[in-house]
Amino acid sequence: MIRLIEIEWLKLKNYKVFWILISMYLLGLLIILSSGMFLMQFLKKQGAEFSGIDPTIIPLYDFPDVWQNMTYVATFFKVILAFIVIISVTNEISYRTMRQNVIEGLSKWEFLKTKLILILGLSITATLFIFIEGLITGLIYSTVRYPKYIFSDLEFLAAYFLEVTTFLSLALLLGILLKRAGFAIVLIFMYTLIFEPMITINFEHNIWINKYVSWSVPYFPIKAINNLIRVPFQRYVFMEIQDFISWKDVGVVLAWLLIYLISIFKILDKRDI
Amino acid sequence: MATILKIDNLVKNYGKIKAVNRLSLEVEKGAVFGLLGPNGSGKTTTLGVILDVLKKTSGNYEWFGKPSCSRSRKQIGAILEVPAFYPYLSAKRNLIIIAKIKGNGLERIEAVLEQVGLSNRANDPFKTYSLGMKQRLAIAASLLSDPPVMILDEPTNGLDPQGIAEIRSLIRSIAKQGKTIILASHILDEVQKVCTHFAVLHRGKKIYSGSVSEALNESNSLEVASRDMKKLARQLKEYNDIVELKEEKVLFTLTLNGKSSPYDLNKFLVGKGVILSHLAEKKNSLEQKFLKILEEADDQTY
Repeated sequence: MIRLIEIEWLKLKNYKVFWILISMYLLGLLIILSSGMFLMQFLKKQGAEFSGIDPTIIPLYDFPDVWQNMTYVATFFKVILAFIVIISVTNEISYRTMRQNVIEGLSKWEFLKTKLILILGLSITATLFIFIEGLITGLIYSTVRYPKYIFSDLEFLAAYFLEVTTFLSLALLLGILLKRAGFAIVLIFMYTLIFEPMITINFEHNIWINKYVSWSVPYFPIKAINNLIRVPFQRYVFMEIQDFISWKDVGVVLAWLLIYLISIFKILDKRDI
Repeated sequence: MATILKIDNLVKNYGKIKAVNRLSLEVEKGAVFGLLGPNGSGKTTTLGVILDVLKKTSGNYEWFGKPSCSRSRKQIGAILEVPAFYPYLSAKRNLIIIAKIKGNGLERIEAVLEQVGLSNRANDPFKTYSLGMKQRLAIAASLLSDPPVMILDEPTNGLDPQGIAEIRSLIRSIAKQGKTIILASHILDEVQKVCTHFAVLHRGKKIYSGSVSEALNESNSLEVASRDMKKLARQLKEYNDIVELKEEKVLFTLTLNGKSSPYDLNKFLVGKGVILSHLAEKKNSLEQKFLKILEEADDQTY
């Protein structure tokens, strides 16, 4: 196992594109996640108000709400991590190094493990980063500072970890399937941001069909992943939100994760590399 | 002698195309085995299958008497087609990755780079290398773990004449250490110069296999000439032990069957009053042999 981690790390540590993308992700998260209060002040200056509430008194960073707020916002950045996974695996195909690795004595299964290590590494890094970021901003802004509150609702971090891991496994599958970084990146981008939302919105709201198909919406791959952490912000205008992780949502995501991993394994097993 | 590689009735189809067609081969320990054949004859496909990167359609192959697995591949240093390395990494870093995969060779990196003459460029990224340097690095990589078996697919591809000579002498010196080498090439001269055994592939089929020295010794041809070529021609046609006779500009080339030697022929001709002005035994080159084998294979196909 350590050997496989070492192998993957040797491939990454001198690869500039990897460092650029990971810094983009972390920097982007840092800026967005720490500027919540500035945003609220800006909105106030613009004269915005939410149902009569002064934006600057909205406790975005209060423990333990900060965990759901942050992991929800971080959702939008995970596509950058997907680029890293896609580029890493399609490089191996176009440089023919996957093939050479196997010739040198790595089994196909071990090669796949090195890429799963990359996925886990990225997911752990992202989750840890949000944890630290939440801790710091929370300690700055939160009115509540009892450890009991700081460390409750941490399941949102676990959910974020599962979300990123599953999404990156989908990215790995697309990379291996399409073999070209460009195709895979465009496809995952378009599908995540355009195709699936268009389909699911139709399924839910098109009065001709929604009676028959709206039940299927939570099972769509991206919808399932995004459903893990629900939109938290309506709570600040006194609306009901789902402020917990539902086991059913987790189950759907785990099922997709399994499907991705099995498909990747089958493709690699059958394909000439 | 122990058998290193045994291929049994191996088939690899790409749709309707039979890239490898019921191929059986054995490579003994210590052999330098040449896999010959024109482009597209199935050499690289065969090597790809036995290195587990291409899926066989049917048949079997065994390394060291056991079904192939990642452990057996660690005992093999192989280059297949184009050199494959991480372009953004230096030669040294690429070799570190390979050593990690193989599980040994880390301490030999400097030595193998020296051996292929890349020491002074060892820290430059692979993408800055010329084709010849890339090929040298591939050879260095295959030597890295000091494996008992080496598979070299067109190892002199892209090298200049000096590089070709160096690599050939390198192969010979490796062979002297008792290592088993499988060398795929379409350059016959290369196989003739370094191999002990060879097989010829044609459209995925093995059409010949044997030892290089036997192939070169059997049915050597003779060159004969005389002052009176017409008379010589008449007498040669009467001599029954000639299997092949060709008239060239100033001489005849002919092949005798096993019963007759150059001595017998000369004696016969002298008896008929023909005095030879030229009699030479011509060693077959592998090239002639190869072309003849291919010709025969084509005749059988149509």
